[in-house]
Amino acid sequence: MLETEELKKVFKGKTAVEGASLYIDKGESVGLLGPNGAGKSTTISMISTLLKPTSGDVRLNGKSVIKNPSDMRRVLGVVPQEIALYAELSAYENLKFFGRIYGLTGKALETAIQHSLELVGLVERQKEIVKTYSGGMKRRVNIAAAMMHEPEVIIMDEPTVGIDPQSRSHILEMVRKLNKEKGLTVLYTSHYMEEVERLCDRVYIMDHGKIIASGTKDELKSILSSEETVWIELDRPYPAFFKELQSIESIKQAIETEKGIKLILPKGSRVLGKVFQASERHHVQIINVNVQTPSLEDVFLHLTGRKLRD
Amino acid sequence: MKSVYLLQWQRFRRAPIMVLSFFVMTIIFVGALAGNNPAERPAVMAYADDSLAQNEAEDWVASLNEAEEFQFQLMDEDAVREAVSSGDTSLAVRLLEDDYRIVLAADDMSRFVIEAFLDRKYREELRLQQLEQQPGADDIRSEAAAEMEEPALRVTTSTLGGIDEFKYDNQLQLLFGMTLFFSVYTIMFSLMKIVEEKKQGTWNRLILSPVAKWEIYLGHLAYSFTIGYLQIVMIFLLFQYVFNFDIGDRFGAILLIIACYTFAIVALSMLVMSLVSRPQQLQAVVPIIATGMAMIGGAFWPIELVSNQLLLAISKVLPITYGLEALKGVAIYDRSWQELSEPISILLLFGVACMGIGINLMERRTY
Repeated sequence: MLETEELKKVFKGKTAVEGASLYIDKGESVGLLGPNGAGKSTTISMISTLLKPTSGDVRLNGKSVIKNPSDMRRVLGVVPQEIALYAELSAYENLKFFGRIYGLTGKALETAIQHSLELVGLVERQKEIVKTYSGGMKRRVNIAAAMMHEPEVIIMDEPTVGIDPQSRSHILEMVRKLNKEKGLTVLYTSHYMEEVERLCDRVYIMDHGKIIASGTKDELKSILSSEETVWIELDRPYPAFFKELQSIESIKQAIETEKGIKLILPKGSRVLGKVFQASERHHVQIINVNVQTPSLEDVFLHLTGRKLRD
Repeated sequence: MKSVYLLQWQRFRRAPIMVLSFFVMTIIFVGALAGNNPAERPAVMAYADDSLAQNEAEDWVASLNEAEEFQFQLMDEDAVREAVSSGDTSLAVRLLEDDYRIVLAADDMSRFVIEAFLDRKYREELRLQQLEQQPGADDIRSEAAAEMEEPALRVTTSTLGGIDEFKYDNQLQLLFGMTLFFSVYTIMFSLMKIVEEKKQGTWNRLILSPVAKWEIYLGHLAYSFTIGYLQIVMIFLLFQYVFNFDIGDRFGAILLIIACYTFAIVALSMLVMSLVSRPQQLQAVVPIIATGMAMIGGAFWPIELVSNQLLLAISKVLPITYGLEALKGVAIYDRSWQELSEPISILLLFGVACMGIGINLMERRTY
């Protein structure tokens, strides 16, 4: 349904996105993961026709939208990262305006407003001024505004940033329903790995302006299928112990964490014995040891060498 | 375009304080500085020099008051000097037999106006006195007055630019100057919503909608134009009908001039916004532009009193100069349409140029 080909964007000599190629099938829910500055927002701005690419193409149903963005804009809803609402107006007034600019009038407009408000669970408080809402409620109206014209594709740019867990859960459930029950095609960017794991069928991972990996969640995890992660919880940091673990040949990666040390090992490697021996030598107090199968977070760490929220 | 335009009014209804404050400030400033009694002429204290007899001094004062431009009050010298030194008045006049002196506390713009008036009146009076000394010309004053009722020949003096002899009307100067000055704030701050929308992200929502970009701009520009235009018109009507100012009866011409001036300021605002990126920057820049333009363009005092060539040259590129020139041309000088066409055309030209450059620069910044 929607695809990009070798998208590139250069700002004042600095390349923000390079060679970004991705596709989204109709009714699919796709995640775009990456740390700050990875180029996610620039990529979705180009896909949504807000930003002209320096080179490359964006196609909707096989037709380029670069020169004629109206086809894309008609079927697209965008939920921006910021609260793009008129704070001095009520939720109802905001939705009425955004419906009007899409040509809705009269009964159709009223129906669309109430439908969108129901979707985000704000029917009861629709007449209240937006600036008096909580962060979570504002985010919900932000989504409702993008849904007024019943788009076929929705792009959500970190829609849950800075809100309470309850509102976040409400939004995630709403997006899941829209995708699974109404067949809405979703492109979802987030910092939160668990959101992407919960919502998305496929994932693209971006770093330094490039797509460095893509596939279904299982496909991505299989990158690390030959590895396992061991978390060692310690009572305090032991630099000498950490240094010794780094020198053990069968440990692929040793990373210091807040609570202790994380080890990435080849699957089936019998290295724990060596770890305990080293701990004896360094008088290390081990509180807990946990062996884990890889998560998307591990995949991300493996691919980029840094955490998603770095 | 209509939706964007109506949205701005909806937002104005929710937060009208800014626009209303400029409206109220205009009324306060004009009301306080110009007074609300059109019959009241600016008072000027005067005292007689020792060389002048009391009755001669009274004759001079009567002659000066005939012109109905100022109200000269003959007082005791000590009282006048006390008033000047204590700051109760910025100047006073010492009347001599065939000359005058101005006693100044502070050199303000009123000195130039009064000096020009006294100079003219003394020349006329001394010329008549000279004629009276000629043999057989005892009754020259009444003869001259009678002849002036139906003169044999009328001589109209005008310059190439159609500029008449300078006439000072304190009330209209303040009304026009302050109204045009405060309207700059209203228009610029109203149009600032474009910059705010770009920051808040609502602009992108509009861009992604079926509404064309030019319609979005037009909606904002039309709102700023309307609110600025209405502010100026309402203040003029208020002072004309409630405070009894006399702006004349050529309302059509005045409405046209206001429209051209408002268009020029809306366009200037667009240019300014294309050069700054944040609403906070605009809040700092707008007062500088508005006040600077008002000072140099003659909103605070008549431009005719300014002699500095550099300031006069700068004033030629400011829309407020032409707005005031056209308004005073209608209300004070009763100029013809042909004479008014020059400032009106310049305002329109200025508006078109600023609008073109402004929108172009703003669009370049978007990508």
